[in-house]
Amino acid sequence: MAEFNTSVKDQGEISVVYLKGFLDAHTASNLENTFSGLVENNKYKIVVNFKDLSYISSAGLGVFMAFIEKVRENAGDIKLTTMSDKVFNIFDLLGFPLLYEIFNTEDEAVKKFEENK
Amino acid sequence: MELNLLKFFKNIKLKTFLGLAGVLFLYKIVLEPTRSVPFQVIGDLLVLLTIASLVIYFIEYLSNETLNPLSLVMNLGIINVILFCLITFSGSVFNLFFDNVTENVQNPSIMLSTVMFAYSFLVLASLAYIFLVFKELYFLKQKRNASVYFNTMIVFIILASLTYFIKDYPDYTFIKNTFLIISILLIVINSLKISWIAFLVKKEKISLLILSVVISILFVVNLIINSSTGLHDKILMQFSPALNQFSNIIMIYGAIYFSILFFTTLFHLPTAEAFDRKAQEVSSLQYFSKLITQVLDFDDLAETITDIATKVCNAQASWIFLKDGNDLKTLANKNIGLLDANLINHFIYRREKYSGRSSTFIIKLNKFGEIEKLSEKYSTLAVAPLIAHKELKGYLVSAKKGDFIFDDEDKNALDTFSDYASVAIENSRLLEESIEKERLEKELDVAREIQRKILPAQNPVFDRLSISSVFIPAFEVGGDYYDFFEISGNKFGFIIADVSGKGISAAFVMAEIKGIFESLTRTYENPKEILVKANQILKGTLDRKTFISAVFGLIDMKKGSLKISRAGHCPVLLLRNGFAENIRPTGLGLGLNFGARFSETLEEIEIKLQENDSIVLYTDGITEAKNIKMEDFGDRLFEETLLQAINDPPDVIANKVIAQVTDFTKDNSQHDDITLVILKWK
Repeated sequence: MAEFNTSVKDQGEISVVYLKGFLDAHTASNLENTFSGLVENNKYKIVVNFKDLSYISSAGLGVFMAFIEKVRENAGDIKLTTMSDKVFNIFDLLGFPLLYEIFNTEDEAVKKFEENK
Repeated sequence: MELNLLKFFKNIKLKTFLGLAGVLFLYKIVLEPTRSVPFQVIGDLLVLLTIASLVIYFIEYLSNETLNPLSLVMNLGIINVILFCLITFSGSVFNLFFDNVTENVQNPSIMLSTVMFAYSFLVLASLAYIFLVFKELYFLKQKRNASVYFNTMIVFIILASLTYFIKDYPDYTFIKNTFLIISILLIVINSLKISWIAFLVKKEKISLLILSVVISILFVVNLIINSSTGLHDKILMQFSPALNQFSNIIMIYGAIYFSILFFTTLFHLPTAEAFDRKAQEVSSLQYFSKLITQVLDFDDLAETITDIATKVCNAQASWIFLKDGNDLKTLANKNIGLLDANLINHFIYRREKYSGRSSTFIIKLNKFGEIEKLSEKYSTLAVAPLIAHKELKGYLVSAKKGDFIFDDEDKNALDTFSDYASVAIENSRLLEESIEKERLEKELDVAREIQRKILPAQNPVFDRLSISSVFIPAFEVGGDYYDFFEISGNKFGFIIADVSGKGISAAFVMAEIKGIFESLTRTYENPKEILVKANQILKGTLDRKTFISAVFGLIDMKKGSLKISRAGHCPVLLLRNGFAENIRPTGLGLGLNFGARFSETLEEIEIKLQENDSIVLYTDGITEAKNIKMEDFGDRLFEETLLQAINDPPDVIANKVIAQVTDFTKDNSQHDDITLVILKWK
């Protein structure tokens, strides 16, 4: 079974979530738990780093949809960074760039949050 | 206090005994009967009745606890030592307080006769107790009903005791001798029936061996000093000849019984260890079979395990805790509160996380920092790791309070038992898993059945359009959907869609969108319009993390044109003049946005169809099909395969693509539905 795990780094108000491995219907709950944890702790400024993510399925994309509303209601956002071309293509096909800000680097995403303070 | 007194007098056995003792006292001291035969016999009978009532009274105390033969034997030893002291020192003690005791025994003062009565009574009580212990030992672990032998023996002992006074009449001594000899014979026969030794463990047998030597010697010594003519003998004879004889017989019984016991134990010793092992195996097997029958219900199983655990090591409390991710889960806590158990669990787990111990170990709680927080004062734990498939699953913990400790035997018993418990727990878990798996498979069967019924049974046939479709479901239903709609005015609509997620929930969404598009295509015909309406309808039913990617197309047969809108789905490929063109108008997936943005961003494009144009619709099950190295089939290989077959009829093109995909993924399982629809314009 393909592996997937997440880790979270706190950077002031901003939480950077690192994804690694295969994010599909079986591992989506793992990311759900991570997001739930952040939301419970009132961390709504979330940067997701896709550097080590090799695959994302539709169920994986659904996790972002599940939380974005709640996060934005609380003056936060989920910003996506550092996607491989393949992963970006999956997001792009569905039109995610119309709904989410996607950056090339983590720093850009963090900076964006800081500018809008 | 009053209550105790009340209990005391309510006890009918005690009352009988006290009554008899009182009568005896009056009879001996106050009446001071002459030494004529009838009076003596009545006195003897009274004495024997008192013994009998005392034995019956003692039984109650002995049977309150489970009988351990070794402690019974120890009791005998102690009473014997007391008797020995009584007999040996009686002469000097009496002489200290009274003058010329030896002469005055026959004709004592009130004071002396009271003291003599008390002395005799003490001897009587000791003998009664010894006799009772013999009785208990005799019946211990006796299989057949052997009471006949014992009762016969009692009768002859009584007869031998009662006839003892005859020794003063030399002509008739044969009567008492006969009774005595028969009694001794019966004693020997009864002493041979020792069946409880086999049930002792080796250690107990060794201590029994030593005890039996000491006690048989004590009995012999007591027999000798009892029957030798001294003050003791005189006092007893004055009190009751029957008691004197009774004590002799008891001493003989003891000497015989313990000599035989010594040899029996000696012969049992070499096989003791084997017997121990067998006994342990038998009891373990009993536990195991108990566990096996409960594997079906995990909670019941856990309860049984802790229940047996407390029994095998005589612990006051027992519970199981299992590792559950990062949590420790307490199960089946017996005689201990959940809070206490949880506190101790964390203590154990912190200590043992990296120890890798596989056998039972003892932990003293005096080093436990939070011991004050426990509501019960547990002092020692025996912790048995539960290991299955070489992996630590949790611990079976037993706890004792106060000064109780776990000894090696407890440890060994827990070790053996926890092995069985681990296996049973693991089996139960596996069973639960396979039941769950079966349930999931059933669910997926249902999902596949729904999907099969939703998808078109056959492809429509037109003059200018030939249509081919292939659908290969994944084991876990992937949520692919395609459909064709005949729209009035010689128009033809088609859709391909992929519901996010898998399984039965995806299948239900498919069923829902089929209904939506069936009805929308009756009223609307423009792809963008239809997709926007569909998105609006879905707003009320889709949960937030579910969305659908779709392409809706409309072919006008008369005009030879194709209108197309794409809601987040894979692009449509147009094969024309040896090239594959990606048709990719912008558009969000259905359900990603329910506001204005969905319709604002959704494009609709129109293409004029040329002869031999092929329109290829597909889901990511093709491009993301993976080989064993987890590489994707990919867009490029897909397009190459299509172009190689560009001049073939759509059926052939589709088959070639599927063959290529199958070849690429040959050793890997299909993880998503594969859908391929090809429309060829003629």
